[in-house]
Amino acid sequence: MMFWRLVLQLLRGNRGRLAVAIVAIVSGAAVISALLNLDLGVQNKLTQEFRTLGANIVISPASGAPAHISDAEVPSLMPEHDVLEVMQQLPPTQVAAAAPYLYIVARAQNIPVVVAGTWLDQAQKLDATWKLEGSWITSRADDSHCLVGRNVARRLHLAVGNPLELHYLERSAQCSVAGIVDAGGAEDNQVFATLRAVQSLANLPGQIGVAQVSVTGTAPVVADYAARLATALPQYQVRPIRQVAEAEGALLGRIRLLIVSMALLILILTALCVLGTMAALAMERRKDVGLMKSLGGSISRIVGIFLAEVGVLGAAGGLLGAIIGAALSYWMGLRVFGTAISPRWEVFPTTIVLMIVVALAGALPLRMLGNVKPAEILRGE
Amino acid sequence: MATVVQVENLRKEFGNVRALDGVSFRVDAGEWIAIMGPSGSGKTTLINILGGLDTPTSGQAAVDGTDVARLDEAGLTRFRAEKIGFIFQQFHLVPYLTAVENVMLAQYFHSTTDEKEAQQSLERVGLGDRIEHLPAQLSGGEQQRVAVARALINHPKLILADEPTGNLDEANEDIVLSLLRELHTEGHTILMVTHAPSIGHLADRRIEFAHGRLVQAAATSLKPELA
Repeated sequence: MMFWRLVLQLLRGNRGRLAVAIVAIVSGAAVISALLNLDLGVQNKLTQEFRTLGANIVISPASGAPAHISDAEVPSLMPEHDVLEVMQQLPPTQVAAAAPYLYIVARAQNIPVVVAGTWLDQAQKLDATWKLEGSWITSRADDSHCLVGRNVARRLHLAVGNPLELHYLERSAQCSVAGIVDAGGAEDNQVFATLRAVQSLANLPGQIGVAQVSVTGTAPVVADYAARLATALPQYQVRPIRQVAEAEGALLGRIRLLIVSMALLILILTALCVLGTMAALAMERRKDVGLMKSLGGSISRIVGIFLAEVGVLGAAGGLLGAIIGAALSYWMGLRVFGTAISPRWEVFPTTIVLMIVVALAGALPLRMLGNVKPAEILRGE
Repeated sequence: MATVVQVENLRKEFGNVRALDGVSFRVDAGEWIAIMGPSGSGKTTLINILGGLDTPTSGQAAVDGTDVARLDEAGLTRFRAEKIGFIFQQFHLVPYLTAVENVMLAQYFHSTTDEKEAQQSLERVGLGDRIEHLPAQLSGGEQQRVAVARALINHPKLILADEPTGNLDEANEDIVLSLLRELHTEGHTILMVTHAPSIGHLADRRIEFAHGRLVQAAATSLKPELA
């Protein structure tokens, strides 16, 4: 009891001198806590960001033959039912979006044009970078509307609301342009209609050429999901899109390296700041130590009191800093990722323990007190 | 009467300087001894050795049968906690502890703390209404009385007072000296360093030092054993 009373009085009596150390510990803890929260939260956020870049798993016929159909080609196809049934059995929480595709090369105004039949409600989730003039098609049964790529619209002089007639072999279909897609890629040269409409135009009911899946999670999670799909669909080819996964992994690795480096730097700077304060305090406390020794205090008991003081300083500063850091990471999440990064509970004890360790490391100058000779100190030397 | 302090041929050298040069004397239980002499004569060095704050170069300095020259660091620490009560000229209170906490600090290093006992010790020196005051809120005389209470709290075998009134005005000097007189009456053994002959005369005996040697004993009961 007396031990903690002494520690409390030390903190109270030296609060002015300890102010620099307190500010250093709270600031250090706030940055460390924010960085840790970011490190843990950024993985989810980045994964979500990468999901906007498109699908990361593609299911296609095992032959690897092109899934496009032209007048002359017989495509490699998959029954729509096979793929969808398997996908429904896997955990839906991991799937951000999924859509089957059937590509054909039809003619519009006598110009060949790639027509993609898909679930148009999923298309915008699979590639969130699409910009649309007009309106999305949200119903998979809406066969009367279609979306056209920016280049197709320019070549065919199409505007939102115009009719578009598509011809494939001896069949034809008509749709009204609901929107013009600006994807900045191959999609700008395509026409998008509902899967059912394209299957009907190509006379391939229930057939698809490819399925795209966007799985939430890190590269290993995506690879695991792809492996499970491959096991369930041995007759087809299931491929994770490596560029996305690898870019994600590399970026996460770099961010983690940056965060760890910064955290180490902050810890060292905090320790140095505490070290400076403690060196000055150790000099001031030589008289107190000399007196305590003369009263029969062993150096281990005396330094123990001072170390507890520093430990309490580290713990309190760490807790306060962790709270500030949580708020900081919340704000940074909003600024950088557009959504808040929620504070992680494990960051609090980690930050507090780190700050206690840093504060104790900064208390190294207290070792000098072991050499105090009470007779000299009490004589005023 | 039992011997509390036995000093035999005690020497202490600081480099080429001989602070104590073959000092021998004995103090019986309950005696009040005044150690006198000019500055640099070795008085404080003697007190420091007897209090276990310093070690002799050679010779014996035994307190209550314990030769401090033979103790290691841990032994000296226990010796100071259990056998010695210090009263310093500069008071030497911990500035961020209250009066009662300063007294309890000595208890803490001795064994366990007893706040009630510490308060009673302060009441005894007339500071019952000052127990929660910090040293900066006390006068010099009050601070020295806290130091007296702290010196007594662990019932030491020997009270070592180094110029206990050296920093006090006349009124406070009287208060502290009357406290020392009380302690003497109660049977405490006191070794007091002082410059002032008037204070020295209050003691049972006076030992005078010059150049590290015991040069004069001013009471018939003194048995100097000059080497």
